[in-house]
Amino acid sequence: MIQGSWKIGGIALLAYVVWTTFTVPLGPGLLELRDRNEAASTDGITKRIETYELIGLGTHWGAGTEDLRVFIRKGQNLAQLPVIDVIDDTHAHIALLLPDTLPSRSWDVLANHPVDGTLFLQNGLFTDAYIIEPTAGLEPPVFDEHAPNLPHHFPFQPRIFETIRNLMLHVPMWFTMFLLMGIGFVASIRQLGQKEASNTVFDQRAEASVQVGMAFGVLGLLTGSLWARYTWGAWWVDDPQLNGALVTVLVYAGYLILRASVEDQRLRARLSAVYNLFAFIILMILLMVLPRFTESLHPGKGGNPGFNSYDLDSSLRAVFYPAVLGWMLLGTWMYRIRLQATQLNQKLQRLNQR
Amino acid sequence: MMLYTLLQVNPIEGFFFGSGKSMVVGGVAVIILIGIGLWLWRMEKRIQALSRQADDAFQNTKSNAAS
Repeated sequence: MIQGSWKIGGIALLAYVVWTTFTVPLGPGLLELRDRNEAASTDGITKRIETYELIGLGTHWGAGTEDLRVFIRKGQNLAQLPVIDVIDDTHAHIALLLPDTLPSRSWDVLANHPVDGTLFLQNGLFTDAYIIEPTAGLEPPVFDEHAPNLPHHFPFQPRIFETIRNLMLHVPMWFTMFLLMGIGFVASIRQLGQKEASNTVFDQRAEASVQVGMAFGVLGLLTGSLWARYTWGAWWVDDPQLNGALVTVLVYAGYLILRASVEDQRLRARLSAVYNLFAFIILMILLMVLPRFTESLHPGKGGNPGFNSYDLDSSLRAVFYPAVLGWMLLGTWMYRIRLQATQLNQKLQRLNQR
Repeated sequence: MMLYTLLQVNPIEGFFFGSGKSMVVGGVAVIILIGIGLWLWRMEKRIQALSRQADDAFQNTKSNAAS
């Protein structure tokens, strides 16, 4: 029972991960500042009033309608926009009441609310009907960033939205695959170091780890493709990280095909061990080295092929790290069962030969 | 069709969480996961038992051949 506690621990970790992944709500965010096409001038000479609709996701503007404050910001320039009306929790009408001369056309939009905290929409406003003078300054209003007053929630990320939950499935699949392929790599080295060529115990370990690792690799591809469809609009894009992942899985598929094509047990053990060494090196190059040197749609490019510290906040880490550990433990368990099944199969074959 | 109409009125996020369905999905996923864990545990025990039986059978055939 004590020996098996890590298995129970793995399942318990994954139960926690699955439960929190599906039940923790997404935090609030700004979706769009949409022109309502109802432009009107107050006096027709000096000021223009255009009304915009600010659209949020998961916001709580209905709770304290008078507390919503909307700002636009570009560098050091900050201006407050008057809120005309709060329609509901996620919609508010804003007046674009600005001087005729502005320092920039594109502006970030910020919304302050006591419940949601300070929300941010990068380049949310483009002002095309104003005179642009880069040296023009705006008189800054009072602005304080607020922390949200909300229960535990996942961070709102533009374009990703609710699919951030896929982080707990997609990324740990690759971590688990790395672990299993690493086990296979070590087993292959030890197999090549065997003095007795008939001893194929490490070859069996390498085969079992690659078989289970392949399953995790395919799941990683599927969950990634599904995520790409939602965030990038296509099931597959010509991207170094994605292509590298596919090639890696195909290389390991080649390992299994090679094994199946050689009947002699000793030759199979040696050949596949050598192939596995190269396969693991290719995996490291395609998934860990090359993506660091190339631009890509995949998060964390320009040095880090995965999520970086700006994408992961503490609420995500509290689920993501247990997810990685839990999936790794499950993968190791599956590998052990697969190895035991292979060894049993070999024993039965030996019995039948007698 | 009904789901489509519901999704037109409420975005998927609002529908999923607002209606409390996320708890059901989370609960079902946890039950499935625990089921997979129990199945793996049972399968491992069975394989180990079969492996022991195979070892015994191997020893028996070995001793029979020697005698």
